[in-house]
Amino acid sequence: MTKRKDTTLKPEAETKTQDSAAVAEAATSKGIPRRTFMTGTAATVTAATVLPNLRMARAAETGPIKIGHIEDLSGNLAVYGVQKYHAALLAVKEINEGKTLKGGPVGSGGVGFTSNFAASPPVMGAGDKDLKYVDKGGALSNSGMAFVEDEDVLVDSGESGLLGREVELIAPDGQSNNNIWQQLTRKLILEDKVDCLVAGFTSAEREAIRPIVDQYKQLFFYTNQYEGGVADSNTFCTGAIVEQQVIPVVDYMIQKFGPRVYTIAADYNFGQLTAAWTKAFAPLVGGEIIEEEFVPLSVSDFTTSIARIQAAKPDWVFTLLVGTNQSNYYPQAAAAGLEYPMASTVNMAQGYEHRRFKAPSLNRMYNCVNYIEEIPTARNRAFVKRWYEMFPDDPYIGQMAQNTYFSVHLYAKAARLAGTTDQETVKKALESGLSIEAPEGAVFLEPSTHHCSHYIRLATADANHNVSFVREWPSIQPWWLQRVGVNLVKHKEYKQYIPDEDPFFSMFSKS
Amino acid sequence: MDVAPLVLSLLYQFGTGAAFFFLAALGLVVILGMMNIINLAHGELMMIGAYTATITYHAGVPFWLSVILSFFVAAAFGAVLELLIVRRFYGRELGALVVTWGVSLVLGQGALLFFGPFLPSIGIPGGSFSYGDFSFSAYWLILVLISLLLILALWWLYNRTPYGLQAKATMQNAEMAKSLGVRTPQIYTLTFSLGAGLAGLSGALLAPTVTIAPFMGQQFVAPAFITVVVGGAANVIAGAVASSAVLAAVKTPIGMAFGSFSGTVALLFAALIIIRIMPNGISAALQKYFNRRAGGAMR
Amino acid sequence: MRTIVGLISGGADIGRTRVFWIGFGVVVLLFLLYPTQTSAFRVSNVSYYLLNIPLGLGMALLWGYCGVLSFGHVAYFGIAGYIYGVIAGNMSGNPFGPLAGVAGGLLASAFVAGIFGYFVFYARVQKWIIPILTLVLTLLLETFLGQTAGYQWRIGSVLLGGYNGMTGIPWFQLGGFVFEGYSFYYLCLLVVLACYFGLRMLVNSNFGQVIVAIREDELRTELFGYDIRARQWVVFVLSAMLAGLSGLLYVQWGNYITPSQVGLLQAALPVIWAAVGGTTSLLAVVISAFALNWVTYTLSAQGNQYAMVIIGSLLVVTMLFFPRGIVVMIAERLGRLTARRAAPSQLQP
Repeated sequence: MTKRKDTTLKPEAETKTQDSAAVAEAATSKGIPRRTFMTGTAATVTAATVLPNLRMARAAETGPIKIGHIEDLSGNLAVYGVQKYHAALLAVKEINEGKTLKGGPVGSGGVGFTSNFAASPPVMGAGDKDLKYVDKGGALSNSGMAFVEDEDVLVDSGESGLLGREVELIAPDGQSNNNIWQQLTRKLILEDKVDCLVAGFTSAEREAIRPIVDQYKQLFFYTNQYEGGVADSNTFCTGAIVEQQVIPVVDYMIQKFGPRVYTIAADYNFGQLTAAWTKAFAPLVGGEIIEEEFVPLSVSDFTTSIARIQAAKPDWVFTLLVGTNQSNYYPQAAAAGLEYPMASTVNMAQGYEHRRFKAPSLNRMYNCVNYIEEIPTARNRAFVKRWYEMFPDDPYIGQMAQNTYFSVHLYAKAARLAGTTDQETVKKALESGLSIEAPEGAVFLEPSTHHCSHYIRLATADANHNVSFVREWPSIQPWWLQRVGVNLVKHKEYKQYIPDEDPFFSMFSKS
Repeated sequence: MDVAPLVLSLLYQFGTGAAFFFLAALGLVVILGMMNIINLAHGELMMIGAYTATITYHAGVPFWLSVILSFFVAAAFGAVLELLIVRRFYGRELGALVVTWGVSLVLGQGALLFFGPFLPSIGIPGGSFSYGDFSFSAYWLILVLISLLLILALWWLYNRTPYGLQAKATMQNAEMAKSLGVRTPQIYTLTFSLGAGLAGLSGALLAPTVTIAPFMGQQFVAPAFITVVVGGAANVIAGAVASSAVLAAVKTPIGMAFGSFSGTVALLFAALIIIRIMPNGISAALQKYFNRRAGGAMR
Repeated sequence: MRTIVGLISGGADIGRTRVFWIGFGVVVLLFLLYPTQTSAFRVSNVSYYLLNIPLGLGMALLWGYCGVLSFGHVAYFGIAGYIYGVIAGNMSGNPFGPLAGVAGGLLASAFVAGIFGYFVFYARVQKWIIPILTLVLTLLLETFLGQTAGYQWRIGSVLLGGYNGMTGIPWFQLGGFVFEGYSFYYLCLLVVLACYFGLRMLVNSNFGQVIVAIREDELRTELFGYDIRARQWVVFVLSAMLAGLSGLLYVQWGNYITPSQVGLLQAALPVIWAAVGGTTSLLAVVISAFALNWVTYTLSAQGNQYAMVIIGSLLVVTMLFFPRGIVVMIAERLGRLTARRAAPSQLQP
């Protein structure tokens, strides 16, 4: 990709006098009163010169630290964008109040957990925001699931703000329009000169701004779950990826319900690549994708799809449906009497379908998530409480919102470690092996891939839409990019890998 | 696999598909088909109906009552819209297109700002029944029935009531109708608000099957327009019925065999071809055919 | 030479007087000087406002002068952009790759428009169905492009990218000179001026007068012996190429294109620019396209959630009170004022 060269400008004073003289000359010869013309020109040129200079006069190392944040606050994706914006606001407020999350350059693992074994996992109700238990789990026994009770992880940072300066969040509205995203990214980087950029919901939005980010070497956090593969020295992806969500849930479902899988996915990159992953991976664990169907994002009538699923008779259905239109599948399937178990990585925790749709639409839905509001640990209950104190009218705290929350704190920790906001130094600090105690659990930012290892839980909803957790993986590393050979510490890259570039899939596939 | 359940499934899909097209197009049939107003706010009118139904339902009103309420709320909205804005655009089709697009932006974003990203949904009423390997939602069958009832009601309204006569006269020749004593401004307002009310009614009926979000109307705009255009203006009701049936007949088998995306593509292609062959819609072609037959018999 | 001047100063667009041309010259000069006074960032923004103008011009030509509303005109914007990306991306080492890409993009837009126009005009489809048909076409295109995510969807070495879009599209270059940053801004300015003057000459020519006649009354014009279908077809293809030109400039501005560029929201924008400015004047659409893009950007940059409400209200207000377009009606009023002032002298023997 060609880099943009900065054209050097002539010294401004000379240019102004020369050009305005020339223009005035041209004007007078055509009979316009010289005075009005000169005044007009002078005013325009002065305004054009003075205003940008005023901004440049502000020095770089004093004044607030600026975090740029672009999300969709209006338009079709406002549903998700507003949550992430609130998360950023909460994190910035906590930083300015002198708080931070525990963690540091201590490698993966973090706080160890002593385990009190309960006979059955606790079941959280679909009720209000206090996370009421429906069932606290059984009495102590030796076998079964470990349920961890740890203290809150929000501690004092030792200073107010960051590096002695206040943190300011600049958060314009992307309006679900990719052109505006590009303009806003340019504005935040070139005009506001943000120290850190946190932005992006869909992969389309991320890919729209990543070239601009790379052009200006802007430090960029992408906090959404996505299809994986971004290997970019300027970008840190803190959302969960395929090997952390798809593979555990597919493995579990094949073992529990059977090998015949019907995939119904949103018809764009995320849906297609995730389905491709599933298709390549399922045979390795004894499963078989009997049918794949890709549904355009605008479709909301699933009568045909439901009939096709019934004709195919799978053991379970893998639903990768994105957006408000496609989530209509659940009530329609329930109304049609479809009773197959379902697995997903994008529903429940993101669009809170189990709260929006009447039971039993989400019955027997299994979802591998790195965060869901119903997580019963003490640190999450404290986080949820803090959130609803600041935003009492919010409907739900989604997975991506939590990612944004700990990513902003992560940036603060890295900047503190680096001792400066200089972006190259902070990027190096982020590659130092930072871990952070997020509400989900201990999260480790893996240096070579710029992705996070996450605490993964397999959540399921029952016929009353109560959420329980049937299995946990305390730490799943982002191993796919490692397998592909990415090491951003040693070798800078700026691309996104796709499964077809990975020879292991074809090597071990059994189709 | 047994053939009988499969056939039943296909018939069911055909019926529900046709009902979906018909309901989506219902309000637009009156406004575009009869009044020639290209109403790009059609989706938002359906949204108003759905929102009314949802809000009243969650306030405790029984679902069927909410639906009827939505009709009147949307009709009131339509009347206001007509009086303030639309009435200046009769005869200016493209102007109507642009101004209703502006209205739709205001309504959609306004709903977002006022009500938030979305409202809790209404559960789909009615249970399900199964036959062989397939099971079906009963609610859609109810919608098919309601669609048939609405067709009959509309036909009765336009062919057996004084209003219907006056409305047809006004649409054919406003000047003449006015000079014969028809109060054309009132007719216009009534017709537009009827169209808006029907759109709201459809929105409320379809509300249990979709997410209640500010821009939910947009998913109905394209199918509605295609249905009305393919149906044609010669006989709007018959046209809408015919085109719903034809479009569903194309979409169902292809969608079943190849997936719903292929079904949508086939549908769009079929629409393009039909418009190419019958530029004035199916109803016009049918009318021509029947006229020719009648004319031939008389010769 | 005289005929060119005559064509440019013809009456088919607003602004013919000396004062007007002086003002025009001043504005152009200010645009020329702008980059020397501001940062690269602002120049890039203004480039974006400028590059959308050919699309608006195509819209004005087709809708205002010929009476055909193409609601899905952005389809040609997208086609040209994607084709450029494919061709230039595949010829990435070659200095003439971008040039081939430009030619390919324009040809592709013209080709698709040609076929579509044939179906629409030679079938004598009713005027009010055309917007819907074109909208269906662009939605079809968006849906198709949105599902090209897999690795199998590549042409040569360039991935179509599906909903994520095509990235890394190369800058335009002539020989060794690459148009980026400031040079790209001047390229946009040059293209806009060329298109504007070219179109102005076209609408003032005989051809232009015939298409206006077609807009006014198709049957009458046909009875005069003109083949209206052929002329409508030509205008349609030409306006599609203008849309394609905007698309070509766009992919060089952002090095990136997605299917949403041909979606419903984007499709409505040129319609809005033309309607608000005034479809019957090229200059009006130039001004409104620039101004509306500027307004949209400024609103969104301030994190304003009311942006869409404001744009929608603006549209409604314009259509109610300025039915012929804001700029056009202001120009008419100005014209009447100056005519009144000039009238006494004209009456003198």
